[in-house]
Amino acid sequence: MVKQLALITGVLAWVGVAAVAVLVVNAWQDDNQVLAFLPILAAVVVAWAIGEVVTHRVFGTWGEE
Amino acid sequence: MTLAKWFPHTQLRDPSWLSFIFGSTQMAPLWLLARAYLGYQWLLAGWHKVYGDERWIAVKGEDGQALRSFWERQTAIPEQGRPAITYDWYRDFLNYMLEHEWYTWFSWVIAIGEVTVGLLLIVGLFTGIAALAGATLNFNFLLAGSASTNPVLFILAVLVLFGWKVAGWIGLDRWVLPALGTPWQPGAAVSTVAHRLERPQRRGLGRFGETGGHA
Repeated sequence: MVKQLALITGVLAWVGVAAVAVLVVNAWQDDNQVLAFLPILAAVVVAWAIGEVVTHRVFGTWGEE
Repeated sequence: MTLAKWFPHTQLRDPSWLSFIFGSTQMAPLWLLARAYLGYQWLLAGWHKVYGDERWIAVKGEDGQALRSFWERQTAIPEQGRPAITYDWYRDFLNYMLEHEWYTWFSWVIAIGEVTVGLLLIVGLFTGIAALAGATLNFNFLLAGSASTNPVLFILAVLVLFGWKVAGWIGLDRWVLPALGTPWQPGAAVSTVAHRLERPQRRGLGRFGETGGHA
C-alpha cells in the first residue's frame, strides 16, 4: 500500500510537470522565453523534491544499492 | 587470419573529467538545465502545430498544407543563386514525398513527434532516445535548408545524448532506467518478467521438449 501510494505520488508529480509545461507554452507561446521557462523549471524542481521525499524513501534508487 | 589478430581487444578508457561530466550525478543539475531548455524549445515548436488556428493537423480539409508549402519552397531551384537544399538526394527524397502526398501523414509525425520529444525531455523520461529523436529532426531540417535554431538545438541534443545516463537523473529516468535496464543489462522489472516467463518451462517439458532447450 505504501509502495503504491509512493508510486502514484511520484507519477502524478511528473504528470504535473508535463501539464505545467503545456499550459505555459499554450499561454505564452514564445512571447518571453525566459519567463516561460522558469515555471517549467520550478515544476521540475518540485517534482524532484517530491521524488526525494516520497519515492526515493520507499523505493531507493539506481546506483545506490 | 582473424580480425582479432589485427585488432586485439583493448578497452580504451575515457579521461576522468569526461566521465565526470557525462556520468556523475553531481552534474545532474547542469544536464537538467540543458535537457529542460531543449524540451521547452521542442514543445514550443510543436505545440502550435497540434493546437490553435495555425495547426498542421486535424484541420478542415487536407492535413499538412503548411508542410507541403515548406517542402515546395525548399525543393524549388531558383534561376539565380543557390538552391536551399545542397544535396540532390535529399531534394529527390522530399520531391518523392511531395509527389506521393506524404505531407498529409508526415505532418502528424512531425507535430506529434516534436511535442512528444519536448515533453519527454522536460520530464526526463527516455532522455537519450528523446534527444536522439530531436537531433534527427534537427538534422533533417538542416538538410532541408532551414537553419533557424536547429544548429544550436542539434548540438545540445548531441550533448544530452552523450550524457544520457545522468541527463534524466532529476527526472523519471532515475526510476525508469533501473527498472527497464539497457539492452546489455536488463533492469529489475525486465528480469522479473523474464523469470516468470521461464518458470512454466521449468515446471513442464518446456518449449523445446524434455531434452531440449537452448544450449
